[in-house]
Amino acid sequence: MTAPLDKAVHWAQRSSLWPLTMGLACCAIEMMSMVGSRYDIARFGAEVFRGTPRQADLMIVSGRCSMKMAPVVRRLYDQMAEPKWVIAMGTCASCGGEFNNYAIVQGVDKFLPVDVFVPGCPPSPEALIFGILKLQEKIAKGSPPAYLRKESS
Amino acid sequence: MTPLEQAFMDENWGAPVRIETAKDHPTLIVAPENLLNISRRLKDDPKFHFDLLTDITAVDHLHRAPRFQVVYHLYSTRSARRVRVNLFLPSEQPSVDSVTPVWPAANWYERELFDLFGIHFRGHPNLKRLIMPGRWIGHPLRKDYPLGGEEVLFSHNRGQIEQQVIPWDQLEDEAEVYEEIDLDQAKTSGFIGTVPESETQVNPMRLDLNMGPQHPGTHGLLRLVLHLEGEVVRDVEPHIGYLHTGIEKSMERLSYPQALTMTDRADYVSNLNNNLAYCMAVENLLGLEIPLRAQYARVILNELERLASHMVWLAALSFDMGVMSAFFYCFELRERVLEIKNLCSGVRMMTSYITVGGLRMDLPNGFHEKVQNILEPFPDKIGELEKMLDDNPIWIRRLKGTGKLSPEEAIAWSVTGPPARASGIKWDLRKSNPYSCYDHFEFDLPLGSEGDNYDRYRVRMEEMRQSLRIIRQALDRLPGGAFRSDDRKVVLPPREELERSMEAVIHHFLISSDGFLVPPGEAYAAVEGPRGELGYYIHSDGGNKPYRVKIRDPSFAHAQAIPVMARGGMVADIIALIATIDPVLGGIDR
Repeated sequence: MTAPLDKAVHWAQRSSLWPLTMGLACCAIEMMSMVGSRYDIARFGAEVFRGTPRQADLMIVSGRCSMKMAPVVRRLYDQMAEPKWVIAMGTCASCGGEFNNYAIVQGVDKFLPVDVFVPGCPPSPEALIFGILKLQEKIAKGSPPAYLRKESS
Repeated sequence: MTPLEQAFMDENWGAPVRIETAKDHPTLIVAPENLLNISRRLKDDPKFHFDLLTDITAVDHLHRAPRFQVVYHLYSTRSARRVRVNLFLPSEQPSVDSVTPVWPAANWYERELFDLFGIHFRGHPNLKRLIMPGRWIGHPLRKDYPLGGEEVLFSHNRGQIEQQVIPWDQLEDEAEVYEEIDLDQAKTSGFIGTVPESETQVNPMRLDLNMGPQHPGTHGLLRLVLHLEGEVVRDVEPHIGYLHTGIEKSMERLSYPQALTMTDRADYVSNLNNNLAYCMAVENLLGLEIPLRAQYARVILNELERLASHMVWLAALSFDMGVMSAFFYCFELRERVLEIKNLCSGVRMMTSYITVGGLRMDLPNGFHEKVQNILEPFPDKIGELEKMLDDNPIWIRRLKGTGKLSPEEAIAWSVTGPPARASGIKWDLRKSNPYSCYDHFEFDLPLGSEGDNYDRYRVRMEEMRQSLRIIRQALDRLPGGAFRSDDRKVVLPPREELERSMEAVIHHFLISSDGFLVPPGEAYAAVEGPRGELGYYIHSDGGNKPYRVKIRDPSFAHAQAIPVMARGGMVADIIALIATIDPVLGGIDR
């Protein structure tokens, strides 16, 4: 009985990801393009961007994250309701990218449990959609969100 | 010698002033103690009338005496002339008079230098860190401050390098350490305007509201602390630095062609305009002639970028005002411009397509048709959007009469571009200081009269029509010929030569790996970006890497002017105000 119920829950979770309206840098513009009519993320059920972390379950870290911003991002993440997922969009969010310097956190996985990394500078909207689809696959398979895995903080 | 230099020569300064002829505009070298006097003269003397402070920056000449160079760029809106004022400060306790009494806009520029260089400005009303977190140690743009970052992990050094550790739970959250402003101190410093005596009493209506850095209406990581009286905004304190990327420091470690890729990512909504300004500054130092075809192509690309940028602006503005459908229309139009950028360079946003010497590649096949495809429907589409928005009474009531900026205030706070033109200042760098053959084309300057949000909206809408006009003319008259300079010391040799000539191979290798040498000197070049005057100041020491790059971003000055426009308005007006001045935080924080 539980297995089909799990399936139904996973289906519901993956089909209605609500991202947080949080744009950090350049990637945010491509994230907006993804919402636009040409790419239309609504086809995959993830178009409901929420202004408050309390109503969102997906954080797309779209762009470089500075040392000054890192605590703010972490606080936003902590405020999100579980289960929650994180996509690191672009090379800066994934590993610091071009900006290997004093100001930028070298990958947001240093302070956030990241589920999916999307490479690119910036990733095209198709790439981000691909990342969201990958996340949906993970959810459908029932693999736990990154923050539940042992190795991540 | 230009007439301006002659006037400087003839002037009796009453203090030692050295006049130098730089490659771009005259340079005055003054002693630090005379700065304030000379600044007043430069501003108030009708002969000079340098009313607009474009930029203040500094250069750290480590191991040389005097160590610090402070650079002021001034502009006269009356005669469209520029001047640079340089002064030198010692290594120990560098300190100079603040020029905030002369140009109020100097406030943030000086705070930035205090933060990043550790230069003290005497008499500054509020000398605190601006970019870096409050308790940061050191001044990042000094040459003896390490670039930082993390060693790159390869298979051969796995396990040997130390991973950067972010104690995120110990990092200081700026919002937490926010202290109540000391009104008495603020009053004497003049930082938050003059507060009448009666208002300093405890008032139950008084409220301080934190907005940002994560807020859908701030268009990025801008943080505003609003001091409210009920719903009325008494004062606003913008806080920036949440997107500080260290672009300027990183550029010092890259060769000139490599550093170009950083310019795309500074103001990331107008990449090609950034490319052009940077290339113009380097070309100025090199004394490079650019072929006409490249100049025209640069104009077309810059105007296309302006369209794309204004589309993002309109999308964000309409989104903030609750017109969600306009957002979709705008992004669809923007995609058409991105298609062209993609066709030219293979990338949608960070193209680096305009390079030093011309263009990276010749305009591709099908470029004409693609641009034609934009030119034909675009005017109708703009009209459609205008009809959708202007017929809406809510739109009008939220924009008209709110967020006003007078022309005097605009000049005092270094506001440039569409916000300045909305205040009725007839000034556009494409007209007043033409670059890249802009003087070959006919176009008008749309002007506003009130300087409110609605005027800024109208000016930008009309600007898009003028951009289309320029593109049409440039496309019709696009000359053939070379698409980049033929200076083999700077631009790559043509592909077909690599198979025949060893010399071409050597040049190709050298330029690709090491870049090229740029003669020592300093140059400032500015373009009219979608948001205003977008300039690059490059200081070269004769090497293959820029010794110092300063990005003069218009949004920086505009963000500083937010309190001027917001005082006395409602909270909801601030959303409209931020949207109409269109700040891009990548440019502000760099």
